[in-house]
Amino acid sequence: MTLALTLYVLIWPVIVAGTLAVLVSAFVKDAREAKSKGEQII
Amino acid sequence: MLRGKRKGPASVGDLQQIAWPVVVILMLVFFGGSFYMSVRISRKKENADGYMTGGGKIGFGISAASMTATWIWASSMYASATSGYQFGISGPIHYGLWGALMILLIYPFGKRIRAVAPNAHTIAEVMFARHGRSSQLMLAGSNVLGSLISLTSNLIAGGALISLLSPFTFTQGILAIGAGVLLYTLWSGFRSSVLTDFAQVIAMLGAVVIIVPVVFFAAGGPDLFEQGASNLTAEQANFFSSKAFFEQGAPYIAAVLAYAIGNQTIAQRLFAVREDLIKKTFVTATVGYGATIIGVGMLGVIALYAGIDPLGGDVNNLIPQMAATYLGPVLICLFFVMIIGSLSSTADSDLTALSSIMMADVYGQNVAGKRNANPKTMLLVGRVTMIVAVVAALCFASIQFSILDLLVFVGALWGALVFPVISSFYWNRVTNKAFTVSVLVALAAFLPVRFEWIDLSGGVGIVSDVFATIGIGVVLGLMAFGFFGLRTGLVIGIVASVASAPFAIGFLHAYPVLSGSLIAYGVSTIVCVAFTLASRAKRFDFDLIKERTGSFDTEAPAVETEGVVR
Repeated sequence: MTLALTLYVLIWPVIVAGTLAVLVSAFVKDAREAKSKGEQII
Repeated sequence: MLRGKRKGPASVGDLQQIAWPVVVILMLVFFGGSFYMSVRISRKKENADGYMTGGGKIGFGISAASMTATWIWASSMYASATSGYQFGISGPIHYGLWGALMILLIYPFGKRIRAVAPNAHTIAEVMFARHGRSSQLMLAGSNVLGSLISLTSNLIAGGALISLLSPFTFTQGILAIGAGVLLYTLWSGFRSSVLTDFAQVIAMLGAVVIIVPVVFFAAGGPDLFEQGASNLTAEQANFFSSKAFFEQGAPYIAAVLAYAIGNQTIAQRLFAVREDLIKKTFVTATVGYGATIIGVGMLGVIALYAGIDPLGGDVNNLIPQMAATYLGPVLICLFFVMIIGSLSSTADSDLTALSSIMMADVYGQNVAGKRNANPKTMLLVGRVTMIVAVVAALCFASIQFSILDLLVFVGALWGALVFPVISSFYWNRVTNKAFTVSVLVALAAFLPVRFEWIDLSGGVGIVSDVFATIGIGVVLGLMAFGFFGLRTGLVIGIVASVASAPFAIGFLHAYPVLSGSLIAYGVSTIVCVAFTLASRAKRFDFDLIKERTGSFDTEAPAVETEGVVR
């Protein structure tokens, strides 16, 4: 039970870290594409 | 760097505070950095459509980050932790999971909305094109109220945090945050909002990744679950707690569709993202929001196991209290930035939502008219709206205006709008009369139940339960319809109502919050369907919406190369 509860508490920061990685890599890709076209990112 | 003593969790009396020079530096770096980003993309001549939706071609990275940042607000972090503290281990799930579902649910409907109105700016504007003025103004009015409430709430949360963790007062805190958000949002509007959202979401999510495990291990780590188990009631220790479901989860599930359909901050991002990226964007934001808010909610669970009493008996102090108790000086600063980031990203979205409603719905459609609207005047309207909104929110926040009842009213209005709005995008027979009457009747049915103005015992309670049971079917049926189509939606809706009837009738009226929301759905659906079926009006041609909505500013924005973000 202790192990299950520990995993239950700590799994969320791990998922958040994964989401963060997706967002950062997508932003970098967007910025590179915009730069190559000579456009603003927004 | 920090003042005050660090004390054990059971005896927290005075919280350690961040010294005023450090607070000033953090605020300057945060708002100065946001302002710098805003300047980098600013144009001397902003485009009115860009000011409202960024031109409708924003990429995945920024739009997903912006959607996540907008939906995470300070109040949701506080509420999730409170839910964990009050309802135990299932509490954060019953807050964060359903909140995340709100984002997910918009995408199937969002794809349809973008297909019929690819260049719109607000859903109210689309309703004007579909039905007319009364439908539009109901949506626009509820959005103005909702965004103003959200703005006020974020300022209050920021002021409270600053007064709790620094020597500055509540009033100084709200002034600094209001001015800071306005500074970087005013000139470029939505474009500034979404770009700064990216930086803010990095700060917020990064802080959650670090702070939650640090607090967990500082509070005792896995041993906490053995030593603190006696602090939980049987319900709090049960992951399938019915108390947590009925008092936190179920009312929130009922609100899922209302907030997804009614909230202009979501709709604005729906109209901003490139059309082929809608699904990807909203699924990513769902995961990001859910994990972040449930993760922060774990601080409430940890506090419960650790036997911590909220400072002054106020559960809203729980998160700052946990940070001040268990975090070192550097991480407290990170925590401070996390909360400021969460409330700023939502506040700037509220400002841009308000400005787009005033620009498109009030000035563009009702004052000048679509063909005569002057883009320069629209931009002026948008900027003046932002200034007025911040001043109004500062006034409401400074007098500690009670926004709870207003929030409930707006939530109900959005609940009553869900079926009429969704059906208006798919069913060509829905009329303006059906839309308007159904919303007003649903509101009239909601108010006495939610605020317990009438005695719900006996026959009235049974009638209330019958409509609420129909509401269950409407909520689940619409959710299924969004993802799986009409036939599945109808089957799920009917089965849900019939299957829940034996349990719900005679029982649901004991939960007025839940009953009120479900009645709003049920009554609006019944009335809208009845009026629609009775109507002999000509069927609506959805292609007309494309013609009636669209760009106000035909002049292409001039790209200034020095402003390109590199």
